[in-house]
Amino acid sequence: MKSPLLGRFESPHEKDKRILGPLQRISRQYRHYLDSEEVDYCVVGVGSAGGVLLQRLAKAGFSVVGLEAGPFWDPERDWVSDEKGSHKLYWNNLRITGGEDPLTFGENNSGKGVGGGSVHWAAFAPRFHPSDFRVYSEDGVAVDWPISYDDLKPYYELLEREIPVAGPAYFPWGDPHGYPYGPHPLGGVGDVLVKGCTKLGIRVCAGGPVAILSGSHGNRPHCIYRGFCIQGCKVGAKASTLITHVPEALDYGAEVRELSMAFRIGMRDKDHVNGVFYYDRDGHEHFQRAKAVIVAGYAIETPRLLLNSACPGHEHGLANSSGVVGRYLMAQAGNVVLGRFPSLIRMYKAPPAHAMTEEFYETDPGRGFARGFAIQSVAPLPIAFAKQMMTAIGAWGWGMRRVLMDYNHWATLGVLGEILPWPDNRVEIADEKDEYGIPVPKVTFNLHDNDKKMIEFGKKKVMEVMWAAGAEQVVQESRYAHLVGAARMGSDPATSVVDKFGRTHDVHNLFICDGSILPTQGSANPGLTIQSLAARTADYLISQGEKIWTSDKRDMTPPPIRRHLAVRDSFTKGVPRLFR
Amino acid sequence: MVYQHVRDGRFQRSLSLISALSSFVSGLEVAYEHYKGSYSNLIMYSPVILSGVVTGAACCAFFSRRAAENVLRVTSAITLADGIIGFGFHIRGIQRKPGGWRLPITNIIMGPPIFAPLLFGTAAYLGFMASYLRREEDSKYGHIRYSGWRRELNEGRFQKHLAAVAALWTLFSGAEAWYSHYKSRFRIWAQWTPLVISPIQLAACIGAIFSERIARKMLPATSVITMANGGMGFFYHVRGIVRRPGGAKTWLYNILYGPPVFAPLLFAACGFLGVLASALRREKR
Repeated sequence: MKSPLLGRFESPHEKDKRILGPLQRISRQYRHYLDSEEVDYCVVGVGSAGGVLLQRLAKAGFSVVGLEAGPFWDPERDWVSDEKGSHKLYWNNLRITGGEDPLTFGENNSGKGVGGGSVHWAAFAPRFHPSDFRVYSEDGVAVDWPISYDDLKPYYELLEREIPVAGPAYFPWGDPHGYPYGPHPLGGVGDVLVKGCTKLGIRVCAGGPVAILSGSHGNRPHCIYRGFCIQGCKVGAKASTLITHVPEALDYGAEVRELSMAFRIGMRDKDHVNGVFYYDRDGHEHFQRAKAVIVAGYAIETPRLLLNSACPGHEHGLANSSGVVGRYLMAQAGNVVLGRFPSLIRMYKAPPAHAMTEEFYETDPGRGFARGFAIQSVAPLPIAFAKQMMTAIGAWGWGMRRVLMDYNHWATLGVLGEILPWPDNRVEIADEKDEYGIPVPKVTFNLHDNDKKMIEFGKKKVMEVMWAAGAEQVVQESRYAHLVGAARMGSDPATSVVDKFGRTHDVHNLFICDGSILPTQGSANPGLTIQSLAARTADYLISQGEKIWTSDKRDMTPPPIRRHLAVRDSFTKGVPRLFR
Repeated sequence: MVYQHVRDGRFQRSLSLISALSSFVSGLEVAYEHYKGSYSNLIMYSPVILSGVVTGAACCAFFSRRAAENVLRVTSAITLADGIIGFGFHIRGIQRKPGGWRLPITNIIMGPPIFAPLLFGTAAYLGFMASYLRREEDSKYGHIRYSGWRRELNEGRFQKHLAAVAALWTLFSGAEAWYSHYKSRFRIWAQWTPLVISPIQLAACIGAIFSERIARKMLPATSVITMANGGMGFFYHVRGIVRRPGGAKTWLYNILYGPPVFAPLLFAACGFLGVLASALRREKR
């Protein structure tokens, strides 16, 4: 037989074509700006926030270049459905970690390549609660946000439609709302969480909220529950800006410059930047001229770039007159509780993220600590499971083999707890240098009393749920998830780095827009909030127009929301929304 | 007396009511099934809306002959067309799944339920037929109109026709039962019963097209068994929903992802159609 039944298979090696998913194709030939051309905006980092910014700004007609340290992924060619083989999705360059409770890097708290962390996130997409924006006024700890939940709510609604988020018709916690795509069927781990919670009388939410398609969406097919979400979804069902926002950004004339490592921001004068210095794939130095620069490098690389850009007038790092750049770094407590069940669980089936409860999210004075935590389904694949069991029970050698043979009987649930922002948790610059010769970041992380109490309580609560669901053995591993903070926003220039639209207090045409501007982190996964903030910043930039480049006066009026800039087809799909 | 009315084709009101009920039930079914698919295409709203429209029209038809002959006929025809269009979309949905028609078994089982739109269309088909019947209050020879196949509906001479419809419905609904029970790997023995019964019912329906004897003797028996089986299935499906993790506390979610609660009733409806067919008069040709 010369050709297979029903015609030839499509070759992934065709020139000028990138296969983003089974049905999604984009051309490789797009706009290319010269270094000498002064573009309107240069965005450093094309990840969760960078992708949204590029799409919005390009669609509004600005000339915009995105510099991305990693490659422009071609999922069909570059990704594998394998845990070990997917390590290149993480930021694996040298980072130095320290403190009493050091964080692990080169894992799920970093991303490299177009799409950034959204390529390998588990795609849990809950909103923050209204109380997250007023932590200091309500609980007397941490700090208040310069914006309120109501400022961000329209953007939450918009982004939930754009990416889109699947979840229940009624989500009862925080500001109750429904989701535009229907819930997913539960896997074994979700069943465990639902069973345990209902037995204890804890409200639980099944099938979301998660940014994975439960029905097809244009040229993106729906989820097929193969389980390789955090290895990069080759189906195209899991949202990443690589497949949601970047293709449209390219259509509207944005340029994504892959393998371009920014190392310094260029200054026109003390109060203005004029471009970004970067190394290309061969290590040659370039300078991209830009009328304004937006840094979207996430919680480690953003402060690193600012600190490395120290210059006369900004001796302690760019935009660091307050000394806050790099401080108030936050990770979320991500303790994993593993339970063995007599029946089969098969964790590898279905997305790891598909059931959760936020019943313990808010402060409860009776518990003896401020703020709270969420409980979520986790569901690691075997290698991650092996690592967890090694830490949890010291499984090794033959014991490890026995544990792994038993993999199908284990279920894992995770705490997602709010660790408060502390000034001593920070990013600094170390003496070591990476392969480009750029000084590497050094991260210090310590847990404080409130955090320890919260972790202890949360751990016990999840164990209770696990026992209630019928587990016969329960163990736990301590770990952390998500990194935010380190360039926080606020209205006081003495205690924050950027204002409520992401503009640095010190430099008029330098913006920061990513997870690092979050003043507090809640117990919700930050992805949706980061993208919503990016859409809001983009709306602000678009309403201000040329004033951003020409005027030093700051107009702080909130911009109108621009729904017409949402990605195509956002409003023609999805279930009727009964609860807004 | 009921028998006589059926033989004469004087049961427009009753059939309108039945059509209203089955349209309502299939509307509910399609509403949550499409909710599961997140209404990711605007056309997915059309069966939900149309089933409401047909239900309304059929209710009007219960009260008014004019409504039956105009509104019900037109809306039913549109809905029937929608079912056929939906069939096309479901085929396309299967084709768009990874592997498409290269992996037919997997993708038929895991993709959009291929025959569901046609099953949905059957409620409208009943409405369409009802619009040509005579009403209960008509005398035995009153209100006979039309010619050709319309006349046969009018006079209650459409046994072969209805047997053929029942055969198709049994085929679709049996196929649905086959692959959805296969999907849940025949966990309990009762899941086999529709697979055993539907071929028998199918054979009886096809037989009834060719032989009046089968239509009068065999079809009623198999049809009653089919109806009983559908009723039993409904009970099992409700039990399956209640037994899911969370049970009645996460009822909406469990209805969505539990066994399709109304599907056995659609299977029972095949039996009902069989009973009805067996009572009718045969076409003259």
